[in-house]
Amino acid sequence: MKGSLWLAWRQQRVLVGCAAALAVVACAIAAYSRSGMLDELRTGLFDTCEPGPLYCWPDGANGPLFLDITPLQYLGALNIALPVLIGVFWGAPLLGRDRELGTHRTVLAQGVSRGQWFASRYALAACCAVVLSGLLALLFRWWWEPAADHSYGLFWYETTALSGSGPRTVAGALFGLAAGTLAGLLARRVLAAMGWTLLVTAVVTLAVEWTHKARVFVPPHRYVSQGIAPKPPMGEKWSTGTYGLITATGRRDDVLSCPYPSGAELKACMARHGYVARFYEANPAGDWWSFQWTDTALLGGLALLLTLATVLLLRRRV
Amino acid sequence: MTGADAPAAALRAAGLGFRYRARGGWALRDCGFTVPRGRITALVGRNGAGKSTLLHLAGGLLRPRTGEIRVLDAVPGTPEARARVALLTQDKPLYPRFTVADTLLMGRRLNTVWDQAAAEAVVREGRIGLDAHVGELSPGQRTRVALALALGKRPELLLLDEPMADLDPVVRGEIMAALMTEAAERGTSIVLSSHVLPELEQTCDWVLMLREGRVEISEDADTLREEHRLLTGRADLRGSLDGHTVVTERTAGRQLTALVRARGPVDGDWHVERPSLEAVLVAHLQAAGATAAAEEAAA
Repeated sequence: MKGSLWLAWRQQRVLVGCAAALAVVACAIAAYSRSGMLDELRTGLFDTCEPGPLYCWPDGANGPLFLDITPLQYLGALNIALPVLIGVFWGAPLLGRDRELGTHRTVLAQGVSRGQWFASRYALAACCAVVLSGLLALLFRWWWEPAADHSYGLFWYETTALSGSGPRTVAGALFGLAAGTLAGLLARRVLAAMGWTLLVTAVVTLAVEWTHKARVFVPPHRYVSQGIAPKPPMGEKWSTGTYGLITATGRRDDVLSCPYPSGAELKACMARHGYVARFYEANPAGDWWSFQWTDTALLGGLALLLTLATVLLLRRRV
Repeated sequence: MTGADAPAAALRAAGLGFRYRARGGWALRDCGFTVPRGRITALVGRNGAGKSTLLHLAGGLLRPRTGEIRVLDAVPGTPEARARVALLTQDKPLYPRFTVADTLLMGRRLNTVWDQAAAEAVVREGRIGLDAHVGELSPGQRTRVALALALGKRPELLLLDEPMADLDPVVRGEIMAALMTEAAERGTSIVLSSHVLPELEQTCDWVLMLREGRVEISEDADTLREEHRLLTGRADLRGSLDGHTVVTERTAGRQLTALVRARGPVDGDWHVERPSLEAVLVAHLQAAGATAAAEEAAA
């Protein structure tokens, strides 16, 4: 096992180096940008801002106040793309390179079994993927903290915050690696394996984003206010955009049946149609973790399944 | 066969069958043979006869679909077999970005036994620098590095698939000499497949011939040489060959030339010659082709 680990390291050291360099650069940018963010907040300019999604526009200011969160969003985008990057550049060549060159035959003709050949290189790659993705996910969390859930920063439900940090980033990285590894085993050509990996990981990444938008696995909560009583403020909640009215029998109609924000007109309209309450649907801030865990289970499960398939096919294909 | 008085076998198969796809044709079928230890075996056969498949099975890269194969009485692919058997496949795949030194270091790391001096000697004999990248070497030099990797693990059984295919005649001689020395000094059993029959003539003392996935011959080379006769005589003497095995025959006018495996003394007024091993092998390979053609015509 020691020997095959050495070979795995010898073949992957360039990738490990690239990953380490990426992590160092990301950390440096994060530290620089975050301290700039803290300096801005310390000026006191943002102290008057209210919580909630409405822009913060203090008296005398030229426009709404924003922190510079663009680099943070880039990190989030990188974390979202991590399955694709790791799959294409690390997973696909992991077995694919040896399969293309035929070098696995030379390696297996030495004192190394198929199991050792696969396990050592996959273990090394998986460890690196976990460390890199874990580091980047924590980095995002730390960097995001001062700007979290403010109109001048980044709300928890924005794509880069929801999908660009947390445990799902690690699960996504492992999924990418597993998909690429299996593609390399099946395709026999690194370039073809990269193509397939790009397709599969990109489709899965986009599909997961769609499940967020459609609230497939984490259904929104319905917030109801009786009569014309003011609705509970949206605050940090992630609105689905569904607003409506409820009749005494419980039927729900679109808000356009009585398109008035409040007051006598609203009261009259509601009475005319027999509406007794108003509602809107949204996910509360605590759902960040629900989204995280469903993604983690989904991507982690896929990673496990693909790894199992690779192990089973290893005997027949190599 | 595994009894105490059975001769120790380098390579042994019984009912061995293999096909690459579940519904595909058989690459090897019903193969049964025993190659004794300490021999240099020529594995011969026409293209597609199953030579590479047999060596891959022996090296543990493939698993038999039917029957069994044993190397040094061990199951191929087990740790015991891997430690004692070296396999050099036909395409000699090496990592192109590794230097020669890296490649030998890989051998040292991946094997329990490793003789660095022996491996380096094989490389140095080919005047290849240890810091050269494998990808920049000529095919012949790459073969040498691959051979160094195989010899460095000090195998008891060395399986070589077409090792000479891309070597020039001088290097071929050198490598053959190196293999002979290895076999003589250490008693290494060697099985090598080749189409270059003349060079097998001087080195090999056992012949394993495959024909369309089946074993045609597995015998001592000297026995083969001694029992075959090249006969030339009148065509009407053909009847006197009954009882012997006629491998090939050719009639030109009234003259008959036949390569015969004699089962006892040959009667009749024949001009008798002792054929070379190469001639015997070529005759058997031709006969294989002729029978196949005849079977095809009959079908």
